[in-house]
Amino acid sequence: MRAAEDQAGRGGRRTSRTAQAAVAALQVALAAEQAASYGYGIVGAHLTGTKFSDASTGWVAHQRARDQLIQMISARGARPRPAAVAYQLPIGVRTGADAVALAILLEHQVTAAYLDLVAQPDPVLREFGARRMQAAAVRAARWGGRSQAFPGLPASALQAGHGR
Amino acid sequence: MAADPTRRVVLTAAAAVPVLLAGCKGVGALAPLPGLAPDVVALDHAIAAEQLMVVRYQAALDALTSKGKEMTVIRALLGEHQEHLDQLRGRLILPPRLATASPGPTPTAPPLAGDGQLLADLAAAEQAASARLLRQLLEVPPALAQLMASIGASEAAHAVLLARAGKA
Repeated sequence: MRAAEDQAGRGGRRTSRTAQAAVAALQVALAAEQAASYGYGIVGAHLTGTKFSDASTGWVAHQRARDQLIQMISARGARPRPAAVAYQLPIGVRTGADAVALAILLEHQVTAAYLDLVAQPDPVLREFGARRMQAAAVRAARWGGRSQAFPGLPASALQAGHGR
Repeated sequence: MAADPTRRVVLTAAAAVPVLLAGCKGVGALAPLPGLAPDVVALDHAIAAEQLMVVRYQAALDALTSKGKEMTVIRALLGEHQEHLDQLRGRLILPPRLATASPGPTPTAPPLAGDGQLLADLAAAEQAASARLLRQLLEVPPALAQLMASIGASEAAHAVLLARAGKA
């Protein structure tokens, strides 16, 4: 009886740790989507024509992802961290070319931010994260970003002697 | 943060079989291979798909009539597929019994048409590959899932770059 209770306790703690890790990974992705939504506002403000339309499409995609992440976090009984009022941009934006460069940077950051979600055992979270990584890499390529063999992955995650 | 990069998928089921058959060489040689773990199957399929992609790109380079931007793009993307293949192969450790077995047949690329069709076919293959990885990464350990997700993102972006090169 005691052994069964111990086992149940260990199982419960493991479940709790898994749930906490999932929420933490969702919060990381949420923070990146919030920053990207803010950043795309700046991007769009410096573009016109089809590029402005592309920025609007990107902005909507990040807003939707943000809303989905908020829903996922809330469904797990946690509180989604609110967005900051303003964000420090990684580069100064004065021209359309700067705006495009910022959009590419934002997409790279979003790609990397989903990496923890892809490592979660929950297949729904894992697939969601992988789909968002693909979508961000595609947007970066559409903005003219250079191709990458391993978008989002730090060099430390790659095995030495096996290329990069 | 990336999960433990050193974790590798090992064919443990295959390695366990010789224990039952030790000292019985004749029967052992005829014994069927045990079922492989889903993560090993997923990794094996991902490796086979990358091998095919490398063959397709090599065939495309040979068949390309234009030597301009299209060739530069195809060369660059071929290099990335070779990197994908190297990393995926590095995650698979075969026990001696399978490591010394004859390799599977070398994949062959489908016949190629003109440059425009060639780029479109490669783009379609990239999209199919990235969609397949979305399913395969559900079956593997976390670090390998991250690698597969990153490769899938790279291949989804390749489709965009190929489409752009086809329009140029």
